[in-house]
Amino acid sequence: MTPGIPIFSPMMPYGTGLTPQPIQNTNSLSILEEQQRQQQQQQQQQQQQQQQQQQQQQQQAVAAAAVQQSTSQQATSQQATQGTSGQAPQLFHSQTLTTAPLPGTTPLYPSPMTPMTPITPATPASESSGIVPQLQNIVSTVNLGCKLDLKTIALRARNAEYNPKRFAAVIMRIREPRTTALIFSSGKMVCTGAKSEEQSRLAARKYARVVQKLGFPAKFLDFKIQNMVGSCDVKFPIRLEGLVLTHQQFSSYEPELFPGLIYRMIKPRIVLLIFVSGKVVLTGAKVRAEIYEAFENIYPILKGFRKTT
Amino acid sequence: MGAICTLLYVDLDVFSSTYMQIVKLLGLDVPSLCLAELVKTYCNSFKLFEASPSVPAKYVEDKEKMLSRTLQLVELASETWLVTGRHPLPVITAATFLAWQSLQPAYRLSCSLARFCKLANVDLPYPASSRLQELLAVLLRMAEHLAWLRVLRLDKRSVVKHIGDLLQHRHSLVRSAFRDGTGEVETLEKEPLGQGQGQGEGEVGNNSLGLLQGKRPASPALLLPPCMLKPPKRTCPTPPVSTVTGEEDISDSEIEQYLRTPQEVRDFQRAQAAKQAAPSVANPP
Repeated sequence: MTPGIPIFSPMMPYGTGLTPQPIQNTNSLSILEEQQRQQQQQQQQQQQQQQQQQQQQQQQAVAAAAVQQSTSQQATSQQATQGTSGQAPQLFHSQTLTTAPLPGTTPLYPSPMTPMTPITPATPASESSGIVPQLQNIVSTVNLGCKLDLKTIALRARNAEYNPKRFAAVIMRIREPRTTALIFSSGKMVCTGAKSEEQSRLAARKYARVVQKLGFPAKFLDFKIQNMVGSCDVKFPIRLEGLVLTHQQFSSYEPELFPGLIYRMIKPRIVLLIFVSGKVVLTGAKVRAEIYEAFENIYPILKGFRKTT
Repeated sequence: MGAICTLLYVDLDVFSSTYMQIVKLLGLDVPSLCLAELVKTYCNSFKLFEASPSVPAKYVEDKEKMLSRTLQLVELASETWLVTGRHPLPVITAATFLAWQSLQPAYRLSCSLARFCKLANVDLPYPASSRLQELLAVLLRMAEHLAWLRVLRLDKRSVVKHIGDLLQHRHSLVRSAFRDGTGEVETLEKEPLGQGQGQGEGEVGNNSLGLLQGKRPASPALLLPPCMLKPPKRTCPTPPVSTVTGEEDISDSEIEQYLRTPQEVRDFQRAQAAKQAAPSVANPP
């Protein structure tokens, strides 16, 4: 992120890899036929893209690389726009073009060298969802700065369990804030279960004090929030099959394995679990603003799948 | 994926985690599940299309007819939120069973789902019975809005005879039998459970009155996924706003409650030593 810009701001431009435009489903085909048709169209688009890429590589040998990329990008964006299902607005694929390809993938569309300008207008504050995700779990780590004898800790602490055959750490729990800590012999500690960053810090400090009281020269070094999990409810059902078709690059929906759709948002780098009931789980954040931003980004997309037909 | 797990003799959980990891690490673009293809593949495995000693003659069915009707029923299930977020195979099993029954109901109504799967030499997925009941409930709702079926007091057994008619008019029947519940979920949540159920009963009352009079159809039911229609198992109250800053003083007494007294340490050590010394005893039955 660009320094100086507030991390969470209603005016922040939408990140890459998102298509905040809600999809208007006016197709009268049956859902099964529509799925088949969209899959066939996407396969045709992929074949066209591969052919174009081969042609572009031949052309690049003749002209400068930068000029060729911009030309091919424009041609690709136009073609990609024409190749849409007819339901998505024009901005759908042009926004998709700015997606940074996932590592190890062959991007469907070549990454343009254009600056990251907001392609769709940022949602003004008055149009925000009005729903605030609730934080459910914070995972943090801290370095106690000294080697620890786990057997001694397990022996002298009431709230500790230690089974070295199963796991090489002491599992300690405190009542307030209600959390669990994994304490390793290296002096590193993981604290889980807190509902806010402050509670996580307080809990980690309490665990450090317990270890201090047990006779170890524990310090409190490099406390860091590693992961934040939030959840919320959009209060309407979501057609997951439709969402995975229109946002295939970011979505994974395997009902045989898991009932929810896994949406990997690129910016911010958050993973969302979206369920048919409208409940959404957001995880992977380092700061809570990322959770809020990710939800504000996904909400207009989910609203596009609100109608049943 | 179930077929792959069976062929590889692997647990679905192990396969699931490995598959998801591979897809993520390699950035694979896996086409999403196509229900129509799965229906065709699955129906082909049913051993009901040719006469055999184990399958009575009246149970043998034409493959194309059964496939076509199953596809329509699966599509109906998909429209009415019975497929999203669920394992697809039990839905297809239930739809295949209903399709098969409805093609010759006179001879087949007495056959249960379990027996049908056994005759067809197909495993019966555990949720298939629930999916069958849900599909029948949808069909019953639709039947209340079909003029010549409204006067008949259909139940989950007799509605099977009219599946053909219902599927023929399914698009308009779904629109008239169900109303979009997306805007009403909040209203449902705000009402106490008793009132919500009372409303449902009121609707049922209206339905029976309508049926008796034969004049007007029942009021449309909410079209929502079943998980949203059931009352929540437990309420999740909003947690109070926390005033924790993370830098509060930590009292010694609070920490000492987590420390064993010397007596407790000795007792614990004694218990551990006793446990290690005692021979292992078999668990009592």
